[in-house]
Amino acid sequence: MLQVREVVAAYGPVVALHGVSLEVPEGSVVAVLGANGAGKSSTLRAISGLLRPRSGSIEFEGQRIDRLSAEQIVSLGMSHIPEGRQLFSEMTVLENLRLGAYSRFTGVAGSIREYRRRRQDFEAALKQIFEYFPILAERRNQMAGTLSGGEQQMLAIGRGLMGNPRLLLLDEPSMGLAPIVTREIFEIIETINRTQGVTILLVEQNANLALEIAHYGYVLETGRIALADTSENLRKSEAVQRSYLGY
Amino acid sequence: MEEFLQQMVTGLATGSVYGLLALAIVLIYRSTSVLNFAQGEMAMFTTFAAWTMLHWGHYWIVFPLVLLMAAAIGGFIELVIIRRVEGAPILNIIIVTLGLFAILNNVATWRWGGIPKGFPAPPEIQVTGVKFFGEGALDIGPTVVSYHDLTILVFAVGIMAALYLFFQYTPLGLAMRATAQNPIASRLMGIRVGRMLAVGWALSAAVGAVAGMLIAHLILLQPPMMMGVLLYAFAAAVLGGLDSPVGAIVGGLIIGITENLVGTYTPQDILGPDMKLTVTLIIIVLVLLVRPTGIFGRRTLRRV
Repeated sequence: MLQVREVVAAYGPVVALHGVSLEVPEGSVVAVLGANGAGKSSTLRAISGLLRPRSGSIEFEGQRIDRLSAEQIVSLGMSHIPEGRQLFSEMTVLENLRLGAYSRFTGVAGSIREYRRRRQDFEAALKQIFEYFPILAERRNQMAGTLSGGEQQMLAIGRGLMGNPRLLLLDEPSMGLAPIVTREIFEIIETINRTQGVTILLVEQNANLALEIAHYGYVLETGRIALADTSENLRKSEAVQRSYLGY
Repeated sequence: MEEFLQQMVTGLATGSVYGLLALAIVLIYRSTSVLNFAQGEMAMFTTFAAWTMLHWGHYWIVFPLVLLMAAAIGGFIELVIIRRVEGAPILNIIIVTLGLFAILNNVATWRWGGIPKGFPAPPEIQVTGVKFFGEGALDIGPTVVSYHDLTILVFAVGIMAALYLFFQYTPLGLAMRATAQNPIASRLMGIRVGRMLAVGWALSAAVGAVAGMLIAHLILLQPPMMMGVLLYAFAAAVLGGLDSPVGAIVGGLIIGITENLVGTYTPQDILGPDMKLTVTLIIIVLVLLVRPTGIFGRRTLRRV
C-alpha cells in the first residue's frame, strides 16, 4: 500500500533522513522504532507531505505522492496524527472532529440529496468514533485544550479517523500518558486495524508495546534503517532487546 | 444630561466605525500575525472607488459591488504581496504594509485629487411606514439622534452577527478559525491554508470598506481621511485584544465614547478637542503596560 524508497529529507542544512526505505502492506500494522532524533517523526512528515523529500520516491496505492502537498495527500485517504497531537485546543471536541472530516467534504454540496448523504456519512463516522471513545461523546462541547492527556490523544485519533483513511500514520500515541491509558489506546488502535481494516504505520519509543500490536517493524538509527524484520523476530533480536526493550 | 446622552449616542456611532476597522485589523492579525497598517488606506481607496461608481448607479446597487471589489483587492494583496513576505521577520512585514499605505494613498491622490468631497449617507428605505437609513434626526425622547448614527450602529451589529454565524456555523468559517489556531494541523486536515489566508484578507477588506463608506459621510472624503480613524481603530483593537473580533467592536465602542466625552468636556481654552487623540494614545500605552492581551484577548502576543 505504501512504498518509501531511498528518501532523503532535511530541515535546511540539517539532514534528517539519509535514504530511508520502508514498505507498508495493506491491512498491516507496521512499527517504526528508534531513539530520540533518529528520524521517526521526519519519516512520517515526509510521507504525509509536511516535509518535502530532497530525493527518493514515495508511492501510496501505486501513485507517486512525494511531490504532492499535505492538503492533497490527506484527500487520497491517508491521515497523519502528528506528534504532540496538534489539536485545535480553543475549539470544542465536536469542532475538532468536524475538521477531521473536512477533506471528505470539500466543495459545496451540489444538491439536497448530496447534502443529506454527506450529513449521513458524517453522523455515521461520528457514531463510530464515539463507540471507540465514549468519553469524547460526553465531552463533545468541551474545549479540546481542557481535556486530559489521554482524552486529547483519543480526540487526535478520532479526528484522524473522521477523514475515513485507509492508511493511518500515528506518531507516538503513548507520549506523556500513564501506562494504563496507553494500553487502552493501543487496544483501540488494534481494533481499528482489525475490524475496520485500516492500515497503520506507527512510530513509537515504547518498543515493547509497539511490537505487541505490529506485524512488522523497522528500527531507525540517525536517519537510516538499521534493522527490518517481523515483530516476532525483532523482539527476539539481541540488538533490539538491548537498545529498545530494556532487557 | 441631554448633551451627555447625545454625546454617548454619537460616541457609539463613531465607535462602531472604529470597531469595524479594528475588526478588519483583527481578522488579518489573528490568522496571519500581520498588523496591517494599510487597513485604513484600503478602506479609503475603496470609498473613493465607491464615490466614482455612485456617478453611474444607485447607492444600494453600488454598495454590494464595492464590497465585492474590496474583497477582490484584499485577496489580491494577500496573494501577490503578503504571501511573498510570509515567514519573514515581523519588521519586513510591517514595512511592506507601510509601503502599501503609501502606494494606496498616493494613487488615490493622483487619481481623485486632494480636495475633500462629500460622500452620501445610505439613502432612506421605507418599510411599512418606518424610515430606515437616510439623513435627518430622530427624536427618541430624552435626546435627538441622527439617522446616520443609527445606520452605523445597525451596520456594525449586522456585520458582527453575520461574521459570528459565518465563523461558527459554516465549514469555510470553521476552516478559517482552524487555520488561525494551528496552520500545520489544518494542512493535515486537508485545509488549503494559503487560500484561507486570502479569504481572510478579502473579508477584512470588505469590512473595512463598509467602515470607510460610513465614516466618509461624517468626515468628508479625502486621501488622508482614515489616518485618524486608523489610530482609533488600533487603540480599539489593542484594548479589546488583537485576536478577538468581539473585543475589536467593544474596544471601538469604548474608544468612541471616550473620544466624544473627552472632546466635549475638556476645557476648550486649556486643552481643547485635541486632547481626544492624546487620551486615545494614553489608552494604548496603558493597556500594553497593564494587560497586553487586551480585554478579550487570550493568547499572549508573542511569535513562536
